[in-house]
Amino acid sequence: MNDRPVTPALDAALLSRRQLHVVLALDCSGSMRGERIASLNYAIRSAIPELQAVAADNPEVRVLVRVLRFGTVARWHIEEPCPVEELEWEDLQAGGETAMGSALRLVGEALDPARLEGRQLPPVIVLASDGYPTDDIDRAMADFFSHETVAKATRIAIAIGSNTDLETLERFIDAPEGRLKPLRANNAPDLVKSIKWATTAPVKATSSPTNAPDNASALAAESTRVLEPDSSVVW
Amino acid sequence: MASPDEALKPGTRFRTRNGRREGEVGTVLGAGGQGAVYLARMGGGEFALKWYHDYYVDLDTGLFARLSSAVKRGAPDNRFLWPLDLVDIEGQRSFGYLMPLRDAAYAGMRDLIAPPPQRLELDLPQRLLACEHIAQCFLELHAAGFCYQDINFGNIFLHPQTADVLICDNDNVNIDGADASIYGTRKFMAPEVVRRETLPCTKTDLFSMAVMFFYVSFAWHPLDGRRELEIKLLDAAAEERLYGTEPVFIFDTVNTANGLLSPMHDAIANRWHSLNSELRALFDRSFTVGLFTPGRRVHEYEWRSAFASARRAVSSCAACGYQYVYEPDAESADCARCAASLSPPAALRVGRRVITLPAGRGVTVADIDERQSSERIVGEVQAHPSKPQILGLANRTEAPWRVEIPGYSAAAIPPGKTVRLLHGTAIAIGDRHLTVSNPQDVPS
Repeated sequence: MNDRPVTPALDAALLSRRQLHVVLALDCSGSMRGERIASLNYAIRSAIPELQAVAADNPEVRVLVRVLRFGTVARWHIEEPCPVEELEWEDLQAGGETAMGSALRLVGEALDPARLEGRQLPPVIVLASDGYPTDDIDRAMADFFSHETVAKATRIAIAIGSNTDLETLERFIDAPEGRLKPLRANNAPDLVKSIKWATTAPVKATSSPTNAPDNASALAAESTRVLEPDSSVVW
Repeated sequence: MASPDEALKPGTRFRTRNGRREGEVGTVLGAGGQGAVYLARMGGGEFALKWYHDYYVDLDTGLFARLSSAVKRGAPDNRFLWPLDLVDIEGQRSFGYLMPLRDAAYAGMRDLIAPPPQRLELDLPQRLLACEHIAQCFLELHAAGFCYQDINFGNIFLHPQTADVLICDNDNVNIDGADASIYGTRKFMAPEVVRRETLPCTKTDLFSMAVMFFYVSFAWHPLDGRRELEIKLLDAAAEERLYGTEPVFIFDTVNTANGLLSPMHDAIANRWHSLNSELRALFDRSFTVGLFTPGRRVHEYEWRSAFASARRAVSSCAACGYQYVYEPDAESADCARCAASLSPPAALRVGRRVITLPAGRGVTVADIDERQSSERIVGEVQAHPSKPQILGLANRTEAPWRVEIPGYSAAAIPPGKTVRLLHGTAIAIGDRHLTVSNPQDVPS
């Protein structure tokens, strides 16, 4: 061995790690008040360590998280892309209507290629909602998908409770027949599982072995195992 | 995802299928998509128990047969954390297997490319030694008729001091030629697997292993050059082009479309120029002709021999300390990093091997005889007691060496005595004939 060990100085190359943007758009409308918002806050807080762990499994990728809340208006809860290892959770409050259209518009604008610096993997967009949009969702959806990054993103939807607009969530996912479906979280434990899976699985996919023909179908297959079937369906 | 009732509770009893021994499940050590790994106690010893999710056992129909055959065959080498026995638990539909527990001193390979402070810093000889160990492990596995299927960062562990390796996750290991259970991991799959034209086999293992060697040596992927840098959004189609349908080696001298860009990739180019021509040629074959012609991929024994030679020939730039593999006959003698002129270091030549001799280095049996693996010291590089710029090699064996120093008559160097490393000196240690190369100290 030599007396002056010098390791390759690879920082220059590592500085330009590819980014994986994870954007959460979370429904904070009045119907989320009480237990639901508490449970959503808890779900995210408990998902963060796992997300940090799966991100650390792929050191070549830099995971950046943003969070948007929507009630009567949509606004950023975490606006600057936050490196996952620095992520801390401040609880969301609920109240107001369901401005899902504005939320999608803001997400689309934030992910516009012109506004993203550096190199990216297709971003991950998670939409969780317990109700029906109260603003113009049709035009917002068209604008949303006009951004290349959005169209190529991994989009995961979580339906909280039973009174949700599943059709809109399916339009958001926009997956071919038989592919990814909205996760239906009918109770607090399911919400925790759904949030955990939705945030970590797409990140994990960048560094885990696969036995699926492609990434999208791997996620779709895995999503069917996130929640146990309802006891009214399987007993 | 496991449902809560699938997770094993500490204290649960298990029984091994072949040995018919009983043991107890301990705490969870880790969890993944296929199942979870638990600490397990049996007969006063500690083991690791991998327990599969029910869904996975239903999905991977070949799993049971694969594991049974692995248990029956036994580990190819003790560096594999190999399935020791299959395990059943009463009332459970699934099954698991026991394997040796991984020593906590070993770090994950991906720490080599982690951002600081997590990054594992290894000097060049250790990196090359780790590669030599990996090559040896897969040589044993492939020679036993198995293929690994999924070589990647997640399943090889490295000892930061000794560069020893451990191969984990051996449950995809299968008889070569049998249907594979998995495609592999992103960026490690062979191009024909990325294109989904074939399932993993020994030849695709060779590709994944070469990617691993490249990562260990460069902390970088061999196909991530200009083209990867220019793709802003790496979607599935772009990824398939880069690693599947149109892969181009970053150091391809014929097709330079995916070459490196300065200054972003300078450190990678420096590392390339600091390696010897033998290693560069093996990487070149792996990632040019080997991309599309699996039969031309580099075999483990070629890698093993190249790493064994290269790691013994490492020297460092006197100006900046950057390490490089010394080649006595190389054309360029400038440091790849700081461009300072490199003075040729003192070295021993034995056959095709070059062993550099910095002060204090112990020369071992394995260094001078590639047929042997003994790390017993036979000689030690020492400075002259009153003229520290003069180096010599002390005889640490129990028999005298016969030496021929140019311009002097032949002499014997008894045990404990030191012979000056004069250029051109011939030293016979047992049946090994060594020549000193030291253009800095030429006989007058």
